[in-house]
Amino acid sequence: MEASTVLQSLISGLTLGCIYAALGLGLFVVYGVTRVLNLAQGEFVMLGGMLTVSFCSMGVPLLGAIILAVIVTIISGAALYVLVIKPARNASGSTLAFLTVGFAYAIEGITLLVWGWEYHSLTNFLGSSSIHLWGATIFGQAPWVVGMTVLMVVGLYLFFGRTMVGKALRACADEPLGARSVGISVEKMALLSFVLAAGLGAVAGATITPLTMTAYNVGVPLTIKGLLAAFLGGIHRAEGVIVGGLLVGFAEALSAGLMPTGYHDAIALGLLLVVFLARPQGLLPARGEAG
Amino acid sequence: MRKLGLILSCLALLAVGAAGCASGGGDTYRVGYLASQTGPYAALGLASTEGAQLAVKQINDAGGINGKLVELILIDDKGTATDSALGAQKLVEVEGVLTLASATATALSHSVIPVLNENKTPGLIISGTGLIMDQLGAWTFKPSSCEFDYIPLPLKYLRDDMGATTIAAMIENSGYGEGGEHYLSPIAEDMGMEVIETQHFDPAATDMTPQLANVKSSGADSMIIWGSGPAGALAIKQAREMGIMIPIATTPAQSSLRYYESFADFYEMDPAPACLDNKPTIWPQLDDSDPDKAMCQKFEEDFQAEYGRVPGIYEAIGTSFIWFIADALERADPDLGDLENARSQLRDAYEQTENLSLIIGTYTMSPDDHYGRVVPKEVLVSFKDGEKVLVRTHYD
Repeated sequence: MEASTVLQSLISGLTLGCIYAALGLGLFVVYGVTRVLNLAQGEFVMLGGMLTVSFCSMGVPLLGAIILAVIVTIISGAALYVLVIKPARNASGSTLAFLTVGFAYAIEGITLLVWGWEYHSLTNFLGSSSIHLWGATIFGQAPWVVGMTVLMVVGLYLFFGRTMVGKALRACADEPLGARSVGISVEKMALLSFVLAAGLGAVAGATITPLTMTAYNVGVPLTIKGLLAAFLGGIHRAEGVIVGGLLVGFAEALSAGLMPTGYHDAIALGLLLVVFLARPQGLLPARGEAG
Repeated sequence: MRKLGLILSCLALLAVGAAGCASGGGDTYRVGYLASQTGPYAALGLASTEGAQLAVKQINDAGGINGKLVELILIDDKGTATDSALGAQKLVEVEGVLTLASATATALSHSVIPVLNENKTPGLIISGTGLIMDQLGAWTFKPSSCEFDYIPLPLKYLRDDMGATTIAAMIENSGYGEGGEHYLSPIAEDMGMEVIETQHFDPAATDMTPQLANVKSSGADSMIIWGSGPAGALAIKQAREMGIMIPIATTPAQSSLRYYESFADFYEMDPAPACLDNKPTIWPQLDDSDPDKAMCQKFEEDFQAEYGRVPGIYEAIGTSFIWFIADALERADPDLGDLENARSQLRDAYEQTENLSLIIGTYTMSPDDHYGRVVPKEVLVSFKDGEKVLVRTHYD
């Protein structure tokens, strides 16, 4: 086995891991506040990518296109909460999760009608080009993807830790009844969590599209990878989601590079199975749980 | 009063139903057509359906076959193997079709084989793999392509035009990839080449750099990318971005203009990848002596007149299937009073198909050969200055 293959697999794993972590963060934000598993998170990523491609092709500069894409995706996130989740908010967690699946398929169908079935791509941000390093290649867009995930983590950390709204969100997550009794509107916070998740998804979608391409049907596989990341690391903590995402990414890339046959998804799923058997709550302990 | 209305409307419905049955009776050739109208393969199924409908319209406009019109009975296979099998069953048992075609995708069409054979109904399947050849049975015909027919074309290009002797294969994890991998090595060996590295990727993979790193370190002097989805096109881009500049040959999916437009810079890097494709998309560049040129031109013009757009390969397959059926119907002239016997007569006529030249191939069938593709018609194309250009045909 060549050293360059190992290095290439590690680079690939880091990039994939950051994509999956970004997906997981969207799931974490909604689950943390509302205890709803939002299985439409991948659709937000898909929408972000497709809309950015569309706005760019209309001649909008990249940054403007991304902002517009985020706005439209946020509206769809708000729609998911207001039209689907809120009317059924007293239903069980699994019912709500299934409702998000229905919403995901609706988004997928509308996208198919509007954009057709073709794949779309974007050029690398600011035309960044590949870097060659000891026989391995770092694609021009990869640093943007890694940077995006780092920014999301830092941004969420500051938001939840330093702002009043962020603290209110955390209060809803920890103790909804107590939050309500001190005057926090749990409904508004739930809406905010869906909006935040949609925004994070849209930014991720725009950033990964130059690397991965996008089409109406990429949402579901992305959601599955995000779920893997979230459950592997532990969906109760942002750190858990990041660790989970990176683990899935590295497992996938290393198995692709170092194992003779395919079925790389089976490796990631197998990993999840092992972790679930040993630690059903995920690798990292939930807050308050003895570690 | 309301009750009377209800009874009357029920009677009216029954009358309409009876009229429907009567019109589908003994004076038309009822042909079943199974294709995705919805679901993941709808784009392919709808395309093949329009091709088939065009051929039926042309046949009926010209007075039908043996004085009888052809009636196409369309059923949506919804992109699943289960719905394909159920749809075939319905066509055979409820609709009482003479024959049927499953014309969306390889895996879907495989689920139709047992229905045809158990019900002694002749039918065509679109399957694109040779791995199914020994399971066709007495009633299934496969006038589509097999890997062993077209693999020599890209290999000839790599060997004769590019001087390559060793190949690295990037294979999609799918039934399609499995067929390619199965046939690639032995055919390469027969042609004096060797597959020295085989890597696999998932159909929805977005990063194939680890596998491509292995291709790079294998030292192979050419690469074949075998895939049916976007990952195969992405592999071309990523290979070139990694500085892997060996000649690349690919399966047809990668010749899609949409992928080319996404990755034009990488598709045009020298040497530009050569992709398998079909004559209808490139016919103006075919040599005037090529007998298929006029056929492709006529098909494109007719299709354009009917649907206002340029047809692709799935439209060509749909049309070809109907002409294959029409050719046999004309020779068999089956007695529609006895459906079982008529199906059997048509099956025999399929087996006697001789030198039938269609856009997708020329066919000579026999009781032992339900594939019978005696002249393959794939071409190899590439991209230059934004245009698709012909690289090689089977005869070059």
